[in-house]
Amino acid sequence: MSLERPSDRSQAVGVTDDGLDYDALADLLGDTVVSRETHRNAEAFVVRPDEVQDALFALRDEAGFDHCSNVTAQEYEDRFESIYHLKKYEDPTQEVSVVVPTPRENPVSQSAEPVYRTADWHEREAYDLVGIKYDDHPDLRRILLPETWQGHPMGRDYNQDKPQIVTLESHANPIEDDHSEDGSDTMFLNIGPHHPATHGVLHIETVLSGEQVVHVDPDIGYLHRCEEQMAQNGKYRHEIMPYPDRWDYVSAGILNEWAYARTAEDLAGLDVPEYAQVIRTMSAELCRIAAHMLALGTFALDVYGEFTATFMYAFRDREVVENILEDLTGQRLMFNYMRLGGVAWDLPEPREEFFEKTRDFLDDLPEKLDEYHDLITSNEIFQMRCVDTGVLDTETAKQYGTTGPVARASGVDYDLRRDDPYGYYPELDWDVVTAEEGDNYARVLCRMQEVEQSARIIEQCVDLLEDWPEDDREIQSNVPRTLQPDEDAEIYRAVEGAKGELGIYIRSDGTDKPARFKIRSPCFSNLQALPEMATGEYVPDLIASLASLDIVLGEVDR
Amino acid sequence: MSPSEVLFQAANATNATNGTAANATNATGAANATNASAGGAAGGSTFPETLSQFLGFGANPDPGLQLLFGLVGASLIATIFLTLAAFAGIWGKRKITAAFTDRIAVNRVGPFGLLIIVADAVRLLSKEVIIPDSVDRPAFDIAPFLVPFSAILGFAVIPLGTGLQLADPETGFVFVFAASSIASLGLLMSGYASNNKYSFLGGLRALAQNIAYEIPLIVTAASVVVFAGTLRMSEIVAMQSEALVTIAGVSLPSWFAFVNPFAFVLFLVANLAEVGRNPFDTPEAPGELVAGYMTEYSGAYFVLLYLGEFLHIFLGGAIIATLFLGGPAGPVLPGIVWMLIKILAVYLFTQWARSAIPRVRIDQLIEIGWKGLLVMSFANLVLTAIIVGFIA
Repeated sequence: MSLERPSDRSQAVGVTDDGLDYDALADLLGDTVVSRETHRNAEAFVVRPDEVQDALFALRDEAGFDHCSNVTAQEYEDRFESIYHLKKYEDPTQEVSVVVPTPRENPVSQSAEPVYRTADWHEREAYDLVGIKYDDHPDLRRILLPETWQGHPMGRDYNQDKPQIVTLESHANPIEDDHSEDGSDTMFLNIGPHHPATHGVLHIETVLSGEQVVHVDPDIGYLHRCEEQMAQNGKYRHEIMPYPDRWDYVSAGILNEWAYARTAEDLAGLDVPEYAQVIRTMSAELCRIAAHMLALGTFALDVYGEFTATFMYAFRDREVVENILEDLTGQRLMFNYMRLGGVAWDLPEPREEFFEKTRDFLDDLPEKLDEYHDLITSNEIFQMRCVDTGVLDTETAKQYGTTGPVARASGVDYDLRRDDPYGYYPELDWDVVTAEEGDNYARVLCRMQEVEQSARIIEQCVDLLEDWPEDDREIQSNVPRTLQPDEDAEIYRAVEGAKGELGIYIRSDGTDKPARFKIRSPCFSNLQALPEMATGEYVPDLIASLASLDIVLGEVDR
Repeated sequence: MSPSEVLFQAANATNATNGTAANATNATGAANATNASAGGAAGGSTFPETLSQFLGFGANPDPGLQLLFGLVGASLIATIFLTLAAFAGIWGKRKITAAFTDRIAVNRVGPFGLLIIVADAVRLLSKEVIIPDSVDRPAFDIAPFLVPFSAILGFAVIPLGTGLQLADPETGFVFVFAASSIASLGLLMSGYASNNKYSFLGGLRALAQNIAYEIPLIVTAASVVVFAGTLRMSEIVAMQSEALVTIAGVSLPSWFAFVNPFAFVLFLVANLAEVGRNPFDTPEAPGELVAGYMTEYSGAYFVLLYLGEFLHIFLGGAIIATLFLGGPAGPVLPGIVWMLIKILAVYLFTQWARSAIPRVRIDQLIEIGWKGLLVMSFANLVLTAIIVGFIA
């Protein structure tokens, strides 16, 4: 299979001056297309389950859809359905979905893994939770639930009341396979689920040769909290918004909330007042700074060892952001600040005090960042450890569907704030930070520079808010008390979260609760690229690479 | 006249004089005084001998009494350093790290949080000693004793000042390095016997690291021996008492750190690796290897290993002080106090490095050891030998 893609985008099929020509794409796919659907974000082609690869190869190689953003699986009364949400890294507004229905009796469809590596984990999740099987899949195991789990919890036949009685013996014993007799000179090592460097409950099964890593297999699911099902049991208007705070729970709450807000607003056709957009933009960027500070601190922790100066310095500065966010939202981590159609409340009174506090923070920031550069990035030992380790090249990064700072540090110029504009970002003056190297060092630098850019955005927002006329401070648009989007409306929308593209797919069934709520977690896709980065490296570099991915298990496992 | 009396008189003499010149006399006078004490030790008066003479048994009592006095001296020195370890390891470490990392640290229990030492000691000792399944039993039990033992053994030949030196053999220099190297065996034993892969990796790392760094360490130290022309610790200290240069009445003592700063820096770096502190804390490598060779130890065994680590830092500091910083020499204060100050200064340096410097990877560490430090230490040795040869 070829990793090349057409270099000249004008040659890609279906691209016209004013967006995508879906008819041209339909012609490209020809007979593989059974029918067409219209989702709120893009057209969708319905494809036979045994022709998935043909259709996806054509879309990837001929039409330039190089980003398999998400795979949603769901069960209808009469069929199973897998939806591949495809995008282009060059222009994520060009989207297309490939819908693969399979009969309920025999839910088998062709795997997309040969086309997009990232489909590997997504399809495993679909198998695990919904129960669709994928032909040709290299390793179709459960991913979030234990191997011994009975049934597929998001399927319609699943009996929630049946207890999952699993004896200790029936669990696979990780040290069962003993190869010490057959002259093997490698060593199997469980890193995690309880390990100081896994930033939560991640289990990495590694095989070592001496100190070098020959095989890595991340085992996730220890923090699976049924976030999707919980969202499906909540009403659109108020009952879902608190959950996003708990996905990437370390400090990116408002960014996550925005993912839901944007999706639900687009689904229900709600407007957001401009004033609220500015507040959203400002608070989201504050969250991004807090999240990147944490990423920097914990990365330093894994390279330096134990609680060192860098970690505490990063926390000290993150604390300032948290204080500002507390003033704004009344909360430090689980903000629950956004509302559909706006935000919960206006800036705290007296406004001058809030602005001054924010400005003070922004004024101090360059000095603090210099301190980090003195302490961390200019340190020769640090560079020795991070430069050229954990390298993720551009094509691999795209194949694994990585986004956010991880992708940008690998030379993928992809930032939804600019490429798929929302909020107040298009009106503001800021830059997308990229680097070419794709190593641990580049990822650290990218995050540090993104902090600077976020500070620029916040500064402009503060200026705007300060001068905003008092009688025009509308924080919420008029939203119906009960939201009931049209029946069978489907939408996939994403925002640039702290770790990358945080997307949500919602299918409405005409009630006030979503029929299917699927979260596209950036950490989930980014973590999948870990074996590419760590294989062949030393154990310390595996740890550093993992830290440089900046995963939050709450978002990986959902 | 006993060394402390000399000191006392010197201090009195300088206190009597006033004016700007007083400071200079103060420094030189006291330095001379401590030199006298160091010289006294070189004259063959170790602590057990002094004790024996003080109690009227003469310089050479019968072997039973010699053993008794030796034990008294040994317990005194061990007590000093174990107390120091409790003080610096439980309380000082937290306070120092907190100062580096912008925090406050313990301040609730007792004045300045000092009673945390008692609280922690009780807590650690009352914990169960967990013996995991299928550990290699004698080795698993011996290792935690071997590590602190080797460090304490090293202190036997260090002239701690104020007459506190347990023994002063002609080969004291060799003895101290030999003793401290036994710790590597303890680390390997604990790593291998624990039946834990992290411990195993940690033990192997510790061994690889100690081999890579002990050679540069000793070769660098050997350059001091070339200068001093003796392996006897007390004589090495005495050598450093002479003035190197005298500027405006203030004389800089000829500490080997001033005579050969290059060797001093080399030794300091190699010593960081020897005691396993950042950037060379790979055997423990919290974050990678959980706690390395210590992973499976708990309760009193853990305390012993932990204690051993601190004692090794102190021994490293004592060696640095003896070889490069004039041993217990220093103005006004008694020799033992100066010695402790110098040891704690080295300890502070290791804590600083721990807070601020990233850890190198094990392969990089081996490379630095074999390709960098080893070559430099031999170059240093050869250069020193040439210089000494020409001067002498």
